[in-house]
Amino acid sequence: MKRIYISLIALVALLSSCAKDHSNYDYRPKENITVKGMETSYTVISEKDNLVINPEVSSTDASAQFEYLWGIYETNVQGAVPVLDTLAKTKNLNYAVKKPAKGWVLVYRVTNKNTKYSQYFTSSINIVTEFTRGWYVAKDDGAQADLDLFLTPTNIIPESKKENIYSAVNGAKLAGQAQLLSYYTGYKSDVTGVLGNTKTLVLSTSKDVSTIYINTLKKIRTLDNAFFETPATRGPCYAFLGSSAYYLINGGQVHAISNSSLNVGIFGGRFLRDANNSPYSLSKYFMANWLTNAYMYDETSSSFVALSQGYGTSLTSVTDDAGTAMPAANTNKKLIYMGIKNTTYLPAPAYRYALMGCAIFQDKNNPAVKTISEIYADEFRMKFTNTPINATEQAYNGTNFTVPYAQENILYFSVNGNQIWSRNLSNNFEKLEYTLPAGEEVTFIRHKAYSSEAPYTYNFIMIASQTGGNYKIRMFNKASGSITGGPMVTLEGTGIAKDVLYITPSVGEGTYTTQW
Amino acid sequence: MKNLKYVFVLAIVAAFTACKQDQYYLYNDIGRLQFGPNPDLIYRTTYNLADTLKTYTFYYKDATVTQDTVFFDIYAIGGTKNTDRSFTLAQEQLPNVLNAEPGKHYVAFNDPKVTKFYVIKAGSVHTRVPVVLLRDPSLKTNTPKLKFKVISDANFQLGEPNLIWRKVEFTDRLSQPSQWTASFSQYYFGKYSVTKHAFLIDATGQKWDDDFINNLYATGGLISYYQMMVKTALIDYNNAHPGNPLKDEAGELIVFP
Repeated sequence: MKRIYISLIALVALLSSCAKDHSNYDYRPKENITVKGMETSYTVISEKDNLVINPEVSSTDASAQFEYLWGIYETNVQGAVPVLDTLAKTKNLNYAVKKPAKGWVLVYRVTNKNTKYSQYFTSSINIVTEFTRGWYVAKDDGAQADLDLFLTPTNIIPESKKENIYSAVNGAKLAGQAQLLSYYTGYKSDVTGVLGNTKTLVLSTSKDVSTIYINTLKKIRTLDNAFFETPATRGPCYAFLGSSAYYLINGGQVHAISNSSLNVGIFGGRFLRDANNSPYSLSKYFMANWLTNAYMYDETSSSFVALSQGYGTSLTSVTDDAGTAMPAANTNKKLIYMGIKNTTYLPAPAYRYALMGCAIFQDKNNPAVKTISEIYADEFRMKFTNTPINATEQAYNGTNFTVPYAQENILYFSVNGNQIWSRNLSNNFEKLEYTLPAGEEVTFIRHKAYSSEAPYTYNFIMIASQTGGNYKIRMFNKASGSITGGPMVTLEGTGIAKDVLYITPSVGEGTYTTQW
Repeated sequence: MKNLKYVFVLAIVAAFTACKQDQYYLYNDIGRLQFGPNPDLIYRTTYNLADTLKTYTFYYKDATVTQDTVFFDIYAIGGTKNTDRSFTLAQEQLPNVLNAEPGKHYVAFNDPKVTKFYVIKAGSVHTRVPVVLLRDPSLKTNTPKLKFKVISDANFQLGEPNLIWRKVEFTDRLSQPSQWTASFSQYYFGKYSVTKHAFLIDATGQKWDDDFINNLYATGGLISYYQMMVKTALIDYNNAHPGNPLKDEAGELIVFP
């Protein structure tokens, strides 16, 4: 019996002991292929430049025989999987750039034919057109709007100008007086032949809106076809973006494209004010950027309303946060100005952004009473901290207000048409920053900053003026919130300037906050 | 010891014969027939039961239209043949409902006008089954149901039991489209009623049938647009009829979530 057991154990051992040897007995060091002469990024102009790269290739395998593949795939793709498009199978690349202007990744695959070992090398490729870099000025002649483009081929200082470029490309100006410029990178269109994310400049006017493909400056849609149903009211239009949504106020009614779900780049219906479809009329002032809800002000009910990600069918009434100095609803105040100063991330369990803003109110019962409110807005709640503006203070008679985003706690405004003042919102100290030459009148004040590319970075206070039907936009550096030195950039042209935006291939939706 | 040798030899033989490459199962049964989804969806298991029930209404058709055809997809299992193969369908009576009557509500499955279409063509495993619905005046007030199934015959035996039948409900009134599903009700337009359906048609100028609802899903942002439109229209209607808000045929208040 014992032998039986031994035999059976031997048998089991026999059947289970044999396994194919998959061990690796190749003790050579890991191969490493090296490529020199390939930059980490290239910027080329579509339909004009050749992308020429002559790399030096070597391997730790002294007997290596190489084969090569150059390919390219696009970035910022939504709703599709990017495909690697083969450009060449040669060692050197000489590619006449045909791809549309946007961000791409160049892939260089080097394979050692002896060992079949491949190594990949990549570079980011910014494909641009002459329209994808420069200062855009939104302007009008009192009745029709257009764009001027100031080209900046080497640094932030413009070297030449293309006047009335919108009408030159599209054959006609846009009706109405220019209002705001904004810039989207996730706006959906089929300008490239398939529905996809489109880098889009948006020009809002008092009577129309135009979404413009930045690569060609051709209009994508206007008020006539930007909606599922063309609104009966034509303007004034104010286009801006919030978190995962594009908003458009038209004639005081707000429409949205929710970008967190599939969409075709068409604005939906008019949001209802409430379950009773109460009438409403939104102010031209709003607070929103790519991180936040959109907060607006209903002038009909003197109440704040909000939207999150463009969802829903009705506006959400903002409620009061603890310690607020005034209610968010039925304020009985006229909104003179509102802007967003900063955002702050609220960690777990909130996982969202709250924003800090600034508003200036005028009491409806007693118009002599004006206040500056610092606003803290989170979800659909607001807290106001109010400071009266004395009639003796400059801000009392100020116009063209603006607050810089993510900068000092300062309010800029103009007085008497040509004086630029600042007000420190922390201590209410007011300071005369600049005085325009006699005859010039301020048309807007903005702050904008860009920090992505060394020769093109800036952090400017921008003062636009007009005289005799011509505009001049002076851009100043600032130190501790105050203008320092003379203008670093000056843009001049015909018409009345209403907004300015610096566009580069690297500008994204989070670069700027659209606001007055 | 002798026995031990036998055991050992048997074990060796068993060891060498125990492992054998698995033989693929080859279909060698007789031809079978069962319904299925549109050919585009045939290999997507979640669509196996799609089109089990179809609804139809003559409501949108011109008054001169006296009949219309609803199609179902049917598939032969067991490969193709070199000759055409006819198949047989028959109505199955449903308990406690108004069953459709052949010749009155639909063209009977044994009527030569339709039996000539009940054929799997040579070289094919699929065809579309036409069910010809008749616009009987009773459809103005009724919604008969027609359940029909595959009958085994000389050419085909039955396929999977839960795929050998289909059902169509039809009327000459507004009826709940197949695509007005539970989720469509829950997330977008609420509980279906004929009154609500008529209101939607009136408010939007659209049919709100299956094609329209499919397009709502396919066009990003369109559902939200129509939600706003019909909510606004309902509020306006109720404001214009104080104390008499819109109610459905069961007397329930019509709402959109």
